[in-house]
Amino acid sequence: MTSRPPIAVYIGTWAALMILLALTCGSAYLSLGKWNTTLNLGIAAAKALLVAIFFMHLRHATALIRLFAVTAIFMLALLFGLSSGDYATRTIAPAAWTKPSE
Amino acid sequence: MSISAHIAEHFETPAQQWEAANLGMWVFLATEILFFAPLFLGYLYGRTHEPQAFAQASHHTNILLGTTNTAVLLTSSLTMALAVRAASAGAQRALRNLLIATTALGALFVGIKAWEWVMDWHEQLVPGLHFNYHGVFAHGVEFFFFLYFIMTGLHAVHLSIGIVVILVLTKRAARGRYNAAYHTPVEVAGLYWHFVDVIWIFLYPLLYLVERYR
Repeated sequence: MTSRPPIAVYIGTWAALMILLALTCGSAYLSLGKWNTTLNLGIAAAKALLVAIFFMHLRHATALIRLFAVTAIFMLALLFGLSSGDYATRTIAPAAWTKPSE
Repeated sequence: MSISAHIAEHFETPAQQWEAANLGMWVFLATEILFFAPLFLGYLYGRTHEPQAFAQASHHTNILLGTTNTAVLLTSSLTMALAVRAASAGAQRALRNLLIATTALGALFVGIKAWEWVMDWHEQLVPGLHFNYHGVFAHGVEFFFFLYFIMTGLHAVHLSIGIVVILVLTKRAARGRYNAAYHTPVEVAGLYWHFVDVIWIFLYPLLYLVERYR
């Protein structure tokens, strides 16, 4: 690797991460209802993207590497999607009283 | 630079060798994210089925220490990324110092985390070992702290392994093992370190920031 990103890119990314941290911590004290969680998770995703793109060098990576990174997220989505669908569509029905077996 | 990287027999160019190592680490990280995923799924279940209990439980975490720790870990990712950059530039002294800084920040994180756990023990919030909580939300609070200790514990184990790896790298860097032509272990360790940071980036809001406005 002969061309390196300038140090400013890394410092800038770190500064953005710190600002996002202040934002997520500060906004947690505002009463926004459901939007608190959405905002916090959105900020977390933004931080993760900054780390992945600039610190983990996905910005300069080949298509193959990026494909593997995206596939990992896809598998996560599959796990959460299908499992949540299972839990969300379950009805808890109490079992009928049965005599204890001898 | 006249220094050239040694290429293993099955590779044609140093670039191909580096690409293979890079891909290998990314595949490992993909498996690691699926290692943590079921814990996050458990959290999703708890949070959606017992939201008030989770909110109450979150208030028993120390937001000052948690936020400080997040800042510490994000900064350690900066020092690690700069260390990788220093290695690629052949800047030996900077590489060594940045690796030491990363190790120090990682150790600071673990220290703060351990302090939090000790305080949780004194507040009797350790399920299975030392748990005493009363009220209608006790079950949900216990579930929250079960997840809290498993998730932060697993994260701390990963971080500790990372610290050991970087200590080994520091020792080897001091002997001049890494230069512009060959610094693959530093880059690959960096990927692992950033991954551990990303896990914490998601743990922080889920554990520390639930309904803080109450």
